This record gives sequence, C-alpha cells and structure tokens, in this order.
Amino acid sequence: MADIQIKKGHDIRITGVPKREILKTPTSKCVAIRPVDFRNIKPKLYVKEGDTVKIGSPLFFDKKNPTVTWASPGCGTISEIKYGPRRVIEQIVVQLDTQEEAVAHTTYAPGEISSLNRIIITESIQQGNLWPFIRQRPFNKIVNPEDTPRDIFISGINTAPLTVDLDLTLSDKQVPFQAGINMLRQLTSGSVHLTIGKNSTCETFTALQNVELHRITGPHPAGNVGIQIHHIRPLKPGDIVWTVQAQHVATLGNFFLTGKFDPTILISVGGPSVENPIHLKTRIGVQLETILKHNVVGKNNRFISGNPLTGTETELDGFLGYYDTTVSVIPEGRERKFLGMLAPGSSKSQYSLSKTFLGTKNRKFPFTTLQNGSIRAIVPIGAWESVLPMNILPNPLYRAILARDIDEMEKLGIIECDEEDFALCTFACPSKINVGTVIRQGLELMEKEG
Amino acid sequence: MKWLRNLLDSVGDQFEKRKTLKKFWPIYEAADNILFTPTITTKSAPHIRDSLDMKRVMILVVIAIVPCYIFGILNLGFQTSLAEGVTRTWSQILLFGLKIIAPIILITFIAGAVWEILFAVVRKHEINEGFLVTCALIPLIVPPEIPLWQVFVATSFGIVIGKEIFGGVGMNIFNPALVARAFLFFAYPASISGDRVWISATDGYSGATALAVSTSESAENAVTLLNQFQQFDYSWWNMFWGWIPGSIGETSAAMILIGAIILMYTKIGSWRIMTGSVIGLVLTALLTNLFSPISTNTMLTLPPHYHLVMGGFLFGTVFMATDPVSAAQTNRGRWIYGFMIGFLTVIIRSINPAYPEGTMLAILLMNAFAPLIDYFIVQTNIKKRLARYAQ
Repeated sequence: MADIQIKKGHDIRITGVPKREILKTPTSKCVAIRPVDFRNIKPKLYVKEGDTVKIGSPLFFDKKNPTVTWASPGCGTISEIKYGPRRVIEQIVVQLDTQEEAVAHTTYAPGEISSLNRIIITESIQQGNLWPFIRQRPFNKIVNPEDTPRDIFISGINTAPLTVDLDLTLSDKQVPFQAGINMLRQLTSGSVHLTIGKNSTCETFTALQNVELHRITGPHPAGNVGIQIHHIRPLKPGDIVWTVQAQHVATLGNFFLTGKFDPTILISVGGPSVENPIHLKTRIGVQLETILKHNVVGKNNRFISGNPLTGTETELDGFLGYYDTTVSVIPEGRERKFLGMLAPGSSKSQYSLSKTFLGTKNRKFPFTTLQNGSIRAIVPIGAWESVLPMNILPNPLYRAILARDIDEMEKLGIIECDEEDFALCTFACPSKINVGTVIRQGLELMEKEG
Repeated sequence: MKWLRNLLDSVGDQFEKRKTLKKFWPIYEAADNILFTPTITTKSAPHIRDSLDMKRVMILVVIAIVPCYIFGILNLGFQTSLAEGVTRTWSQILLFGLKIIAPIILITFIAGAVWEILFAVVRKHEINEGFLVTCALIPLIVPPEIPLWQVFVATSFGIVIGKEIFGGVGMNIFNPALVARAFLFFAYPASISGDRVWISATDGYSGATALAVSTSESAENAVTLLNQFQQFDYSWWNMFWGWIPGSIGETSAAMILIGAIILMYTKIGSWRIMTGSVIGLVLTALLTNLFSPISTNTMLTLPPHYHLVMGGFLFGTVFMATDPVSAAQTNRGRWIYGFMIGFLTVIIRSINPAYPEGTMLAILLMNAFAPLIDYFIVQTNIKKRLARYAQ
C-alpha cells in the first residue's frame, strides 16, 4: 500500500505525444493474429483458409500447452494464413464481415463473480480462448493455466513514450474492470496488486475493491510491471506471478459479464511522423493502414507496433501486435552531421541523457531511427545503472549471460528481469549495445536449462 | 560540406569495389565516421537511441585534457627561459614550448595510429577511437627531455601490450597510457627520473622536482625545505598554478581541475573515483603526519594539501584512475578503488626511498585489484539477494 518512489530512469521527450482525446477509427477490413509474436509456443491451427469464424472462435492452440487457445478478434473469413521460413505460422488474417457476431458463453452478474471457484473461472477463460491475455513472470510468457500464481500484478500506469493514457482509457470501464479484478482474485493464493500513478484520480482505480492498490511516482520504467513487482514483492526462485495488462483486465471482466469476447481496445498513435497524434478506439490485431490513413507525414518512415522502446517494426499494411496498444511512426534516419562528434550540440539537434552536449532545455525531440554511433565494447561510464531502478547490477549480469553462466545469472537476479526493463539501458548506452536482447537470451537459456 | 561528402562517397566506392583496398576498409570507415556521423540505424527495439556515442565520449576526454596541453606548452617554454636566464615574450615562450612538445605528440600519435590500424585491419574490426585518449595522455606524462625513439617504443608497448593483446578498448586491464609510462620508467629509468630530465635546456642542466626536494635530506619539516629551495619557487600557490618543472602536463593543478570539472559534469569520469582518491590521499597524509615525530623521514611531515599539488597525483587521479575500463566498475567499488589509489600514492611517496612519485604505481596496482574489488561488491549484492530469498 505504500507509495513507491522511482528515482532512476527517464521519461523520453519525443515529439508526437498522443492527445488526450479519443477518436473512433473507420472500420477495418481485416484483422490478424501473429503467432510469431508469442514467444516459446508451438502453434497448431484449428482453422484453414476459407473457413468462417466468429469473434471469440479459437484460431489455434499451443501444442506444448493445449489448454491455451487463441480467440479470433474478428468475425468473417480466414483470408490468409501466412507461413514464414521453415513453415512457421506468421500470421492469420481474418477478412471481416459487415455484420459481426461473437460466440456467446455463460454470463455472470457482477456480484456473482467473487463467489466463483477457480475451476469454473479457468474453464470459462479456456472456453473463451482468452488465456493468452495472462502472462507470467519470470520469463514473461503465456501462463500455464494449471499453475497457481503467488500474486497477480497489474500496472495501471504507462510511462513508456507515446503510450496510452490508462486513466483516460479506463475511466468508463469501472464495472468490467472490477469484474476482472474479482475474477483474477480467485485465481491466486496471494493478492491482486494494482499499481497506479501517484496523482491518478481515475475512479475506476481509486474506487476499486478486492485489490491491493499501490501508488508509484517517478520516470519510466516506473510503469513497467516488472519494476513494480521488484519494488512490491520481488520474485524468488520458484515463484510464479501472473501479470495482465490493465485494458485486458477489463476485457476479461467484460467477458464474464456479457459472455462475449469484445476485442475493442484503446490505442495511442504517435511519434514524430504522425500528423495528429491521438488516442483511438479500435480493436486487437487491426491493420495499421486503417488507423494511420491520412495521418502520416513524410515518405521514409518506420512503422512500429508498440512504443519506440520495445515495439516491433512492421509495415503500413502490417497488423497491431496482440499485446500492443501503441502505434509509433518514426522517420528513418539518414542525416549525416559534419564533425558531429566535435559539435557543441544543442537541445534542438541532440537528445542525450548525458550532459555531453550543450543545450539544457527540456524540449521535445523529433527522434529518428538513427543509432547515433557504431557498436563498441562496453566502456562502463554508468549509463546503464542510471536508468535501471532495480537492485540489479546490469554489467555483471550482462557478462554472466555472455559467459552462459546460469548459476551466476540466477544469483545476480535474472529471474526478476525482463527485456523491456532494460530498454532504457540500451537507449542510453554509448557503446550502442542492445542490453535487452542479451537479457532475453539469458532468460531463454535459464528457461531451457535451469 | 557537400563536396567532402561526395568525395568520401566516391572514395568509399573504390574501397568497396577493389579487392586490394577492401582489406583497408577500417581506415576508410574511421575517416568517414569521424568526419560525418554514421548512418547506422537501429535494427530492433529500442528504435530510438541517445545521441551520445563512444566517439564523443573519447573526444570529450581529449577536450578535458586540452587545458593541460596549453599550460604544459607555456610552462615548457617558461622553464627553459628560467633555466637559461633569458627573458622572452609570451609568444616566444609558446613557440619554444611547441618546439619541444610537437615532435613528442607527433611520434605518439603516429605510433598509436599505426598499431591501432594494423590491429583493426588484421582483426577486421573498426578502428577504435580509444587510442586517441591514450595518445593524448602520453605526451603529458613524460619529461620534456625524453628521447623520441623512447616515446615511440613506449607508446607501442602501451598500445599493444597494454590494450590490443587483450582485445582492444574495453578489454584491457591496465590503463594503456600508464603502461607506456611504466615501461619507460623500468626500461629507461635515466630518461624519466632523476634531476636532469624535467627541463628542456642546455645539456646537463639539473633541477630537482618538488617531490625530490622534499625527500632529498632529512629536515624538521618538508614545507620549510620546499620554501627554502632556491632554484625554483616551490610555494603552495606556485605549485597549484603549476609553474614548476615536472612531466609536461602534470604540473598545473588548476588546469587539471578544469579537466576534472568537464569530466565530472559530463559524467564521463567517475566523481566517486576522484573524490575517493582525494579523500584517501588526505587521510593517509594526515596519518603520516602523526607518525613524523618518531621518524627521520622528512616526507612524512608533508601536509595533505602539498601532497595534492605535487607530482602527478591530480593528473593521474583525474585522467587515468577514472579510465572506466581499467577502474572498478561498480559504484561502491569505485569509492574503494579511488581511496586506495590516494592511500597508496602517499605510502609509496613517503616510505619508498627509491622513487619519490607514487601515483603511477598506485594506479597500476589498483588496476590489477579492481576486478577483485568488484568481485566483493558483486558478492554483497548476491548475498543480499540470497538473504531475501531465504525469508
């Protein structure tokens, strides 16, 4: 219940911050799910091209864990199943009908949910094909429904650049959000922890019951659930906790109340190349073209599903990732500055967490995709440490992973880490080393052999 | 600058096309990316990056050293005029200083660049800008009378043995510039110690450095000894400003402090190491002062503020102890590492009779111990975590 204060970190001041206004997007023609977005699963299809599906119908399941199935975010015809190298299923595209229909399941009254038992809830989630919304730590992967998590953590604040304002998003979702919390409460032996911003006045959060509410202040990555877990009740070896994104809590709650899966979500669209950065009401797996139409400036842009720190590069005709609620558009960098390493610099031409450039104004900066340097060996001047608000020594951990020393990695606390928590370390690294990728490699090694 | 860009692009095409030139791609790459910021874009998340890169880090260290260069050059000319008993104008002094230092700088950079390029070409990696810092430091830590061939050999030793055999910048365990100096010190002691090398004047001119004066004879008090010294003005303020003989860049505490401020402000040099080191020096000097009544060693009477401005302590602390690669790499480790450098400097200065300067050896010794310090800091982190797991 105590307030958490994060000191280390940084809120990146990028231009194109989404306005606090919600627009409704034109209906999209197709939606898609990309099985490659989910780590460590072996997808097996339920459908083939030409089949018709309803919203909530199962599209595929995980061979490693057959109770985990994926719901279709749209009603219509499977128009394309795209395979990648070695017959990896890349994406399943659903061509939408004009009149959509959702699969109906049992409905529950709001008061009823708290009295449901664990078995009924797990079965309902499975019937709704909604397990993928719940992920576990360590390893940040889809849960095994048979586990009983120590606790369930939800982040009620986004701090990454250009992300959705959750206060705005959830302000009218009080009933389904509470239902979702009540439902999750039945799944854990511990408690459901929700962390919100210190100044949040959103009633959906403040009037919430059946939850341990924490308030957090400080810069990014304060909104990352991994950081919150670290400060509330850190993971020990053998612990499993579950995490759900705040919007998905409402989606799950809504499913129990109405018996139907509603794939609607609120996303933010932003970045230097977006003409009108804004919040949009759309749905999971939407095609980016639909939401970005007439809203992009410049020709040579990078389209990112997700925020600029952790998102995945895609194309304009690509689709929004399953867990992503942000679309960022950033110009591809190509400018070469003459004697840039000697230039005094200003807050207009450079953006740095270090004080190695002149210009101290805190203005917003039009980032490009330039790496701003070549890759070098680590020269530890403290860039990583100053943006990692965890009691973790990033440099020794990085070395232990490179040395594939699983024992040392575990001792240094790798199970508390996730790639996204190290994104700022990579951002700030003067040697341009991708710390997050290495953390991910370490986690995968742990998972395989630990 | 469009013409230069076009020129570089056309040269780059040649490097890519011709097989014989392709081997030397690192040379083109370095020139291209030093003149123009690289075009590399991010391949995966995070898609945006900080503007700071290693080139700028290294060049800022060089910029922080520049005040020491300017003063060093003036002081060279000044000391020569003093020794020869000639009055010269400032511009003449500057020219005199330049005449002495320019060949040293030239030889150092030639040696450094040759080895760096050779290793880059053979190992097929990019030329690493770290050698710029090493080469900028070496001319400042040698005496003006150093024979040029020794500069070449020492720089080569520093770059190759101190750095490249470990795998280049980021992998070395000792500071390469100090390795070069230590090499000179042990291989050609006559060129880098004694009374005859610190002033570039007529043959055989001799003048003892302040540290040598304080140890030269037993007296009640080292400070009196310094103040009574006729040949040079070894008052505290004069030593602070740096108008004294010594290695070319080490004499002026004032100029080094400018560099320290630049490094601390930009966070490239660790303030923990610098502060720890000064604390270590002051405390240890106070301790030796306590012991001075029971010893005939005059050096023990030297007060801490004199220790600070004499010899190479400040220069070593600010520019060499803070080398992030060879120093301790954990924040708490940096305190210990810095403190030990200050401590060892005084101990070597006071108790070792053979050589009055202790900073170089103190830093090299702590370079060797830095991984051990880090090991213990990492272990405390691990133990805390294990204790939490046990709850």
